[in-house]
Amino acid sequence: MITGQGITRTFPGRGSMLRREPVRALRGVDFTIPDHGAVSFIGESGCGKTTLGRILCGFEEFDGGDLIIDGQSMKALSAKDRAPYFRRIQMIHQDPYSALNPTRTIRQILSDPLELRARQTGAATGWVSDRRAELLGLVGLDPDYVLPRYPHMLSGGMRQRVVIARALTVDPQVLVADEAVSMIDVSLRLGILQLLQDLRSKLGVSLLFITHDVATARYLGADGELYVIYRGSVVEQGGTDTIIQHPAHPYTQCLLSAIPVLRGIEQPGKDRLIPLAPLDERSQPPGCLFAPRCPQAAEDCTAAVPELALSGDAVQGSVTHKHACLHPQTRSVVATATA
Amino acid sequence: MSVTASLPPEQLQQALSRSRARSASRWRILVRTPGRVIALAVVIIFTLMALVGPYLYPKNLPINASDIYAPPSLAHPLGTDFAGTDILALIVTGARYVLLAAFIAAVVTLVIGTAAGLGAGYYPRSFGRPIMRVTDFVLAIPGFPLLMVLSTIWSFGSPLQMGLVLGITGWGGIARAVRAQTLSLRERGFVEAARGLGLPGRRVIGTEILPNVAPYVSMNLMIQLTGFIYTEVGLFFLGIVKYSSSNWGVMLNNAVFQADALTNPRSLSYLLSPLICILAITISLVTLANVGDEIFNPRLRRI
Amino acid sequence: MAARTEPETQTGTDSGIAAVRVRDLTVAFRTPEGDLPAVSHVNLDLFRGQITGLVGESGSGKSTLALSLLNAIPSPGQVIEGSVELGNGGNVLALRGRALRKVRGTDIGYVFQASQNSLNPLKRVGKQLLDVGRSHGERDSRELIRRARDLLDDMGLDATRVLSSYQHELSGGMRQRVGIVFALLLNANVLILDEPTTALDMLSQAQVLEIVRKVHATRHLTTLIISHDISVIGDLCDRMAVMYAGRVVEEGPTASVLATPRHPYTRALLTAMPRITGDIAEARALPGRPPDLSSIPREGCVFQPRCALATPGCLETEPPDTIEDDHRFACFVTAAETR
Repeated sequence: MITGQGITRTFPGRGSMLRREPVRALRGVDFTIPDHGAVSFIGESGCGKTTLGRILCGFEEFDGGDLIIDGQSMKALSAKDRAPYFRRIQMIHQDPYSALNPTRTIRQILSDPLELRARQTGAATGWVSDRRAELLGLVGLDPDYVLPRYPHMLSGGMRQRVVIARALTVDPQVLVADEAVSMIDVSLRLGILQLLQDLRSKLGVSLLFITHDVATARYLGADGELYVIYRGSVVEQGGTDTIIQHPAHPYTQCLLSAIPVLRGIEQPGKDRLIPLAPLDERSQPPGCLFAPRCPQAAEDCTAAVPELALSGDAVQGSVTHKHACLHPQTRSVVATATA
Repeated sequence: MSVTASLPPEQLQQALSRSRARSASRWRILVRTPGRVIALAVVIIFTLMALVGPYLYPKNLPINASDIYAPPSLAHPLGTDFAGTDILALIVTGARYVLLAAFIAAVVTLVIGTAAGLGAGYYPRSFGRPIMRVTDFVLAIPGFPLLMVLSTIWSFGSPLQMGLVLGITGWGGIARAVRAQTLSLRERGFVEAARGLGLPGRRVIGTEILPNVAPYVSMNLMIQLTGFIYTEVGLFFLGIVKYSSSNWGVMLNNAVFQADALTNPRSLSYLLSPLICILAITISLVTLANVGDEIFNPRLRRI
Repeated sequence: MAARTEPETQTGTDSGIAAVRVRDLTVAFRTPEGDLPAVSHVNLDLFRGQITGLVGESGSGKSTLALSLLNAIPSPGQVIEGSVELGNGGNVLALRGRALRKVRGTDIGYVFQASQNSLNPLKRVGKQLLDVGRSHGERDSRELIRRARDLLDDMGLDATRVLSSYQHELSGGMRQRVGIVFALLLNANVLILDEPTTALDMLSQAQVLEIVRKVHATRHLTTLIISHDISVIGDLCDRMAVMYAGRVVEEGPTASVLATPRHPYTRALLTAMPRITGDIAEARALPGRPPDLSSIPREGCVFQPRCALATPGCLETEPPDTIEDDHRFACFVTAAETR
């Protein structure tokens, strides 16, 4: 189990030497990834969700707060001691092409971590090739076809499966899929999503799914949890289905309104919010960060940053629905199937 | 509005590479075009010349005072020089110094430059700064003038000496370029993944980063070889480095300043022979420079 | 397809003779190993005042088809037969040189993907716009800038800021909008958008779709959208065509195609698409892989290798078009289904 407590991350800004404004990518984020769980982080590009994913894998430092992996605080450990913990969390990158070394065959790519493992555990000869074939089978690839090839000879979907197989070579507890299907054709996305769901039920790995496409978050399996992130803060969190059907925060409502509606089989939600002007990353509004773009912003919204609090909805099983809006309005924004 | 032609779509590329995947081999890359075959042949011939040439002739080449500046004939296919020595013999025995020194210099720059670049690029915070300071210093050293100065106290009798000096003063460029590439490769998905999987640093550098900088390094190597050849030949030609036995550069010097080859048609062969050899080897090396890119980058293989 | 004479609707959509008529278009890539078919015998009409969508996986030939409307197919692609007729200009495929350049830009505007950096990184946007205008013989710089400003304002962008920016200073969504401005600068009345929302997040995508809708309506354009994402097509387009392996396998009004898909491929695509509505347990990934050019069946139906309804007859002859109420599809098996 992984818990983030008040994770903060600020990047030194770009710009001239005189006017370098730091970018606050994450402003105190709390989250939990339970064992065998499925958690999604949703938000626009630049909201900090990718940074959070990278912090979880150990590719990025965090400036404030703490990350607790299996009961061990990461803040308390040196970089070297943290490595074995971060190894339990593996990243599936967005671009399957740049995630594979173009100069090596799939056989070599998968053998590298397996051989390391074999040496460490003193495995028998032949373990590496057996495990290799086993993992490729798990991700739905034919070893004879895939192993001798270079990455550029495989389709995007196949490459992504190889990336997943590689991540599985170290028996991870958590797979972080950072926009893992965004660069794959829509028709092939379901295959990868179902694969991830399969791995969750077969191997018990937890999934952290980072995406801007809320619809894909539904396909990770039952009892998934959703965190909506806006400019480095969580503005709403709860069960995936709860949030999709009863979004409380106006930003969530905008995100859900933006989902395209299929003519002939779906009808748009009647309170769909108009798409907004582009996000201005440089603005630093006092109080609620969303207020400048919010359709229902009131006086007290600019006074102080609203806390993330329990919404009116009751607790649902192990998941609670929280949001950070002082004046939530119920809106029916999500498309519904035409009867 | 202009729409420029671009690479064939990914699908086409996959289709082509799948149908050719079976026959990809490094040998085929070398002989893919007629130009490369010729270049390869030239390089092989000169390499053989450098290796065995001096063994084919006696240590002191025969002189024949009655046959100086003879035009090409059956006995002397390229003519003779100011002492009646066969020019062909001079060419064959003179290849060794020039090519060996250039080769040693290239190996030295390759090893030091690549190692420095990889180290500085992969560990920018710990090794990066000190290595780059040294690199900048080396880059600032003017190679050619330094050799001129050194030649007043050193006679550069062996190609090893020349090669080492050229190499030690010449690795700055490769180091810089490799460092830049390593820095950017470091952020690529597959390198991050390798680190995340627990592969040790040395391993990551060797299997993930090095093969991806190899195309650049191999091309650079070929070009540097030509640069070194020119530097040496230049030093000998200008008479800055005096050398007792003959080599191509010395031949050029003799041809122009002693035999007056620029005005005297009889000694033209003495001038042209080494010149053509130098041109041939440099053009061949440049032609083969592209081969490195294809060998190390599977995506570009069109066989 | 014969020209239809439908009465003008209230919104002013005139569906008389099509503005762009593609007839029997066949494009192949000529390689030393033989011809690889990219587009085969495609018939398609684009009507004034209507937004048409072209849906297909990577490699279906949709981009090649779009480029052929401009006669801009990159080598080794070549048009084998067929014609592309514009309302006024005759067959685009027969044009060369100056006449062709005139069509590109003044008659047809082409918008590239935002992710393809089709903007010159070394020149400011305003200067590039002027270059485009001038290369088409428009000398009046003020007029060009005025038009550009109007277009940028329509798109909700700060015209002054954008015109003086470099390409890297703009976000993906902004670059996409600039791309649309480029395409419309010379008052083209046919607009082609190639994957306009790929690589954009959900909100930016919704904004771009809204802009396309607006621009299309105000200028009464003929618009063609190409995408692998059916939800984008399903939301935005009045008509849609589905492409597979270089052929149009289904075509018709969007609502009709989505509500009652008649080709097995269309049905499979809809079942394989992650959606916000519908039962996730009913979703089925598409079997097999998208065809690559060298493995497209030369005889019989191109979809047969992946089709659940395939019969022996499907291997022998290519299915002809069946037309039912303005809804066209090519399948033996489903044509026999009772409605």
